[in-house]
Amino acid sequence: MEILTSGKGELFKLPDPDGHRAYMRDHRSHALTEKLMTEQEAVKKYVSDGDYLCYDCTMLMRGPSSIIREIIRQKKKDLGVGARFTYLVVGLLNGAGCLNRVDVGYMGVGYFNLLYSHGVKVTEWTNCSLTMRLLAGSLGIPFIAVRFLGGTDAFQYSGAKLVNDPWTGQPTVLVPALNPDVAIIHAHQADIYGNARIFGPSVSPAEIAGASKKVIISAEEIIDNELIRREPGKTTIPYYLVDAVVHAPFGCHPGEVAGKYTSDTEMIFEALSACGDPTEKAMEAYLEKYIYGVANHQEYLEKRVGLPKILQLTEQAKIKQGYS
Amino acid sequence: MTIAKSFTEVEATCCTTAHLILKEHDKSYWVGGGGTPMMSALLVQKLYLPDLTLVFEDGNISAQPDLPIDPMMAFVSGRINYRANAWSTMNGVCGHCSLGLYDYGMLLTLQTDPYGNINSSMLGNDFYHPGRRFGGAGGANEIASMCWRTILHCPQEKRKFVKKIDFITSPGFLDGSPHAREKAGLPPNTGPYRVITPEAIFGFDEETHYMKLLGHSEWVTVKDVLDKMDFEPIVASKLEILESPTEEELQVLRVFIDPRGGTIGGGKWINL
Repeated sequence: MEILTSGKGELFKLPDPDGHRAYMRDHRSHALTEKLMTEQEAVKKYVSDGDYLCYDCTMLMRGPSSIIREIIRQKKKDLGVGARFTYLVVGLLNGAGCLNRVDVGYMGVGYFNLLYSHGVKVTEWTNCSLTMRLLAGSLGIPFIAVRFLGGTDAFQYSGAKLVNDPWTGQPTVLVPALNPDVAIIHAHQADIYGNARIFGPSVSPAEIAGASKKVIISAEEIIDNELIRREPGKTTIPYYLVDAVVHAPFGCHPGEVAGKYTSDTEMIFEALSACGDPTEKAMEAYLEKYIYGVANHQEYLEKRVGLPKILQLTEQAKIKQGYS
Repeated sequence: MTIAKSFTEVEATCCTTAHLILKEHDKSYWVGGGGTPMMSALLVQKLYLPDLTLVFEDGNISAQPDLPIDPMMAFVSGRINYRANAWSTMNGVCGHCSLGLYDYGMLLTLQTDPYGNINSSMLGNDFYHPGRRFGGAGGANEIASMCWRTILHCPQEKRKFVKKIDFITSPGFLDGSPHAREKAGLPPNTGPYRVITPEAIFGFDEETHYMKLLGHSEWVTVKDVLDKMDFEPIVASKLEILESPTEEELQVLRVFIDPRGGTIGGGKWINL
């Protein structure tokens, strides 16, 4: 296949479908086994220094906020992130010194200079080029063709290639498969085996679960396997794609989980201010107050959020159509 | 319908866009997140066409969002996805666009050039040391690449309409040469269709793909518009005078959609 042009962005993860297959054979449980554990155990066991992470959605909307906080609490180092959206997650991981590389679809506002000053490497992508890379990763194939990205500076600074399609002969953009080391997904419901249900629209939970070597599901609610078997059509992610299940009610706080609770605007702005403070003093205070200063997610909810706020945010999530 | 006497520049952009959508109400619209593209589409939906096919990149297919917009009403929120016809995923919507199902994409741009190229990434000459860095592509590149036609929103300012933009985040007609988009791997017969500013509307010459002034608001002259551009567009032989916002439209924008004025309060006030 003739390569016409190549983007010059650094590829943080090279496609390796055979390596991934072997990893799946040797390291993933293929049986219906219990995977329920605490957030501390899940992060300790499945997130290593240097790992490349993908999370679904953001800390504003159905993202795995409690697991991200635990990763920071355990002071993981040199992490990479594939971020369709960076909001808060990249800001906090960078502020806490956990990050060294980012593939970015959409960069939130306020902390770019801090990424550069911390020496974090950035490769430019777009949202769907990352989700398409993850789709290829989840299909066990080395690359996928897309009908966008070409011709732009976004292409030039990405790791994509323009080739002549061997069948139509037309110039076609190829993006390489992305197989993250770790996927972190916050679901509405999961059972102890990892069968997970997500309601409402989503970015790419099935793709990142399928593509990643290690998958942590945090869930608002742990439900009985019998309920899963009664309505299998509702399962977004099946059990054998999952390594760990963590019960995390209000796990997205300060963000929202559609149909469960709305976002905590006040605390989101507190986090955004921390991410945007060029002196990094506000970040230090934020990390101390909300992450290092509490032992776990339960203590975060009890001491930093509180029952009145939890009841208020639940009450505000009045739209429930379809989210159950 | 009563023509309004006083409104903001952003309200003018939203209303001009709404009038354009109304002429093509049986089409599908993929709208970039937040800001004036979303406000324009919601205005049409609330006032005229509740069933408008409106798609967001989180997989939300034809919702009727629970208004008003609040600061945290981003993608994947319950309220923005209220009463949708389907909840898909980012790849789902991207695939539907790749299939040719989306007629119009609507986007904001920081800067544009004579060929309608889009910059939402950075200002400055060095990608690795930008003067100012912005959000970047998000889903905009997909929208501008694969929707049949792209509608751009841009303030009417000399620093925004420039000969060469600092970074091509999403494709217009690229260098304007014949089939430039296809040669870069993009689907044929796609590209920028209109650029809408508070005081003018532009299209593109069919042969040269060069930007062409098609019309302007009643409160400015052609010279006023051209003075606020760093390059000179083709000027259509017959110029349309754009319909001004109506009181009914402003009421919907201000009461139902954006009562805090977070978006529609932007830009200068225009008093007729």
